[in-house]
Amino acid sequence: MTKFTLYAAAGAIAAALFAAPASAGDFPPGQVEYIIPFGPGGESDITARLQQPYFEKLYGEQMIVSYKPGGGGAVGWSQLNGMAADGSVIMGVNLPHTIIKPLQGNVGFETDDIVNAYIFHYTPDAIVVRADSPYQSLDDLIAAAKESPRKITFSGSGKGTANHLVSVRFDELAGIETTYVSFKGTGAAVTAMLGGQVSAEWGYTTVGGGQGDKVRMLAVAMEERHPAFPDVPTFRELGYDIVSGAYRGVAVPKDTPEETRQAVSDAIAAINADPEFRQKMIDGGFALIDVPYGPEMDAWMKARAEEYIPAARAAGVID
Amino acid sequence: MLDFFLAALTPLNLLLALAGVAAGTIIGSVPGLTATMAVAVLVPLTFGMPPESALILLGAIYTGAIYGGAYAAILLNTPGTPSAIGTTFDGYPMAKRGDGDLAVTIACLSSLVGGIVGACALLLLAPPLAEAALAFGPVEYFWLAIFGLSLIAALSTRDFLKGLIGAAFGILIAMVGISETSAEVRFTFGSNTLLGGIETVSALIGLYCVPVLIELAATSGRHLKEDTGGTRGFRLPEAFSTLMRHKLNVIRSSVIGTLVGALPGAGGSIAGLVAYSEARRTDRRAPAYGQGNPGGIVATESANNATVGGGFIPTLVLGIPGTPPDAVILGALLVQGVRTGPTLFADGSSIVYTFIFGLFLATLLMLPVGLLIGRFAYRSIVRAPKAGLVPVVAFMTIIGSFAIRNSLSDVGIMLALGVVGWVANRRGFSVSPIVLGLILGRIAEEGFVQSWTIGDAMGNVWGQFFGRPLSLVIIALTLLSFVYPFLPALTRALRRRGTALPAPSDKREPADPAAILRDLAGIGVMAAIAGVALWQCAGLNPEAAVFPRTIATGMLVLCGLAALETLLTRRVVEDRSYGSTGRRAGVVLSMAAGIALAPVLGFATAGIAMALGLMLSSEHNNRSLRGWGLLALSVAAVITVFTIGFREALSVPLPGGLIF
Repeated sequence: MTKFTLYAAAGAIAAALFAAPASAGDFPPGQVEYIIPFGPGGESDITARLQQPYFEKLYGEQMIVSYKPGGGGAVGWSQLNGMAADGSVIMGVNLPHTIIKPLQGNVGFETDDIVNAYIFHYTPDAIVVRADSPYQSLDDLIAAAKESPRKITFSGSGKGTANHLVSVRFDELAGIETTYVSFKGTGAAVTAMLGGQVSAEWGYTTVGGGQGDKVRMLAVAMEERHPAFPDVPTFRELGYDIVSGAYRGVAVPKDTPEETRQAVSDAIAAINADPEFRQKMIDGGFALIDVPYGPEMDAWMKARAEEYIPAARAAGVID
Repeated sequence: MLDFFLAALTPLNLLLALAGVAAGTIIGSVPGLTATMAVAVLVPLTFGMPPESALILLGAIYTGAIYGGAYAAILLNTPGTPSAIGTTFDGYPMAKRGDGDLAVTIACLSSLVGGIVGACALLLLAPPLAEAALAFGPVEYFWLAIFGLSLIAALSTRDFLKGLIGAAFGILIAMVGISETSAEVRFTFGSNTLLGGIETVSALIGLYCVPVLIELAATSGRHLKEDTGGTRGFRLPEAFSTLMRHKLNVIRSSVIGTLVGALPGAGGSIAGLVAYSEARRTDRRAPAYGQGNPGGIVATESANNATVGGGFIPTLVLGIPGTPPDAVILGALLVQGVRTGPTLFADGSSIVYTFIFGLFLATLLMLPVGLLIGRFAYRSIVRAPKAGLVPVVAFMTIIGSFAIRNSLSDVGIMLALGVVGWVANRRGFSVSPIVLGLILGRIAEEGFVQSWTIGDAMGNVWGQFFGRPLSLVIIALTLLSFVYPFLPALTRALRRRGTALPAPSDKREPADPAAILRDLAGIGVMAAIAGVALWQCAGLNPEAAVFPRTIATGMLVLCGLAALETLLTRRVVEDRSYGSTGRRAGVVLSMAAGIALAPVLGFATAGIAMALGLMLSSEHNNRSLRGWGLLALSVAAVITVFTIGFREALSVPLPGGLIF
């Protein structure tokens, strides 16, 4: 009898405990699905995987990574607003994709349709050459490009992407003409550079992180030097005002209540603040940033659009 | 070295390898659940493990999934994973004539050899092979894709022109959606559904599996011939002696698989196709390849399992994934904090060697595991009554094509392409060239546009395409491969000193006017598709338009030639098998209804409703009420188990709808 009451009491307490987080507005409402609108293995996937264990540590709930590739992210983003708006679904977002794609034609979503909850990192653009390349510095490369216009070839990941836009912008600032060759993803662009199929690569700092001393980075498009590559100068130091890269974050469906949007933002912020997580990201060549939900996000998005759209126009990816 | 070997052999690692191989084999055998998915789904499981064990588990799953793809290829004519495309060519004909068990065992032995060769290369030759793979540039990838396309000649012996037209059609399908290299939206006709392009694996399932289901229902014959001598066990001795007869083939294909696997981004499907092409070219044994020659299975299965070890070469040495599943594993490694790169090998880091020995272990475990599961798969499919087989397989195609990117529109496209494939087949356009075009078209386009851009910048486009030694080797092989099917006719012509055209080998009666009209109509539809593509190209930027425009123009010319051939020779290649049209329509309509109802009723309930329609369409015998009840119950049970498995074990968000 006493045993029974004990069990009953324990059961009631447990029920109350479990029921409490399920009340309105709390995050997470249970396990959270984190949809990556690309295939597995890319940088969006890797960073989501890095976040996964920390989310579980914070909330004791699983964060399940799933994929919805297609159309360079468009398939996922065009379906985002039809998904559960209770915080149980979050989706990766990538810039400049979400700004440029809708301007290229009907891709099923507009930039403003996407509610960005948090932008948590970026992969800064960088010029990477093979370790045995004749170009020791950015000046060498620029001199070579001036000598033979168009003949210096750069591999890069995709058209209308951060790599492509920065290549156009840099050519303009340096007064040179080079050839950008679009590859499918960073992996293919790195392969082409390592194999000597192209003279250099417009890649990301992650390439330096992954390839070690097989490659040399000539400059990175950051405000300050990357902590993992203290010897590599920034473009600004060399006289070219470029800070750019591919930014990544998470978004929620537009029907998500205000407090849940904020809660998602806080969750990603908390993961971003974990020193162990930060170190793993930096080791991989990523650069962390913190743009939370709210007016700060709106201003930040506006600034990015002002930067990307003219570059895309100059690159001929949009009219 | 020995201590690494022992480290791989801890009881935990042994258990993980065994579980991984078994899970991988089962997942790989379901059409639509690819090796990439199998690995991606199970990655989170490995986060808590030490890196060695995590790698062993993932490698074992990968190995098993690549092999498991062979079951569906052999028994259902549907590659379970894209790497097994070539296995359907000879595997299904073998199964049809009653040798399905032998085919499955041959696939298991070949996969074992391929896996061992790939793992040996990884152990002994990884750093130099990774360097060598880098010599492969965009031009070489372009020519490699063309080399794969040269298989059209082999796969369309009935009608070469129609094979070429089909391949062009496949390439055009591959161009739908946002182009990766030019970021242009192409051939979507304003539809958001088509924006993401035609998902390759869903398309494969539709093109290969739906026609099989339609024909299964239409006729009363058995799906596969039953084994005659009762149970013949695994037919191991027979399979072993087949492998011995094909020893050159198995070694060559394993080497091809290792090398192609080591090329970043090429993957198992291309490795299998290249090995198949080479096996066919060098082997003149009867029956012909494509008609049930075990050599075809030996080639693809050894090659695709060799890509496992081969693909890890650039993954571990360069940090660049060799195949799609490697991309997932690379991500898992980064999360574990393992830095890939040359130093990983140079430092003699224990993790690499423990992993490689784990891969050997997994490959060896594949023999018992694979044989047992294969035997089970074979028996269930041979013995299942048609009215049970059709709905279960149909449900698998639907759930499999959904799971790839959790999209019901992909399932719709799968069914639509299945009907297209069925009609095309009847009109003499085989499905395999279409699939080759679909898979290789994107690789060919990327390589073409990149080579063009680089060549143009250098002011030497011709030199870029034809001036590189490696390219020349691939071009030579391609020419050989294209010419080979016509060699008998050519030698005959040469012997007669080219005085007369060779006599057609099969002297068929001229077709009646109705058949000729049907044929012309089929060719006309293809020509119209090419015309629409050309018209659509007008609005695209040059980079996005150049490849599809070239293909569509060629397709129009080929259609003209094919029409001319039909009119001149008055001979028609078409299939006019007889069976019930109503039952055929029943299959398609039931599946369409099942797909439409899934978001309303829930996945499992809609699946069961669909299954009832399919049972009625495909049952040819009289069955008692009790028999119907039992059958319906077991089909419903299988569907429910699949749904729960996908939802819970694989975390696929299947629509729940009203009921389940």
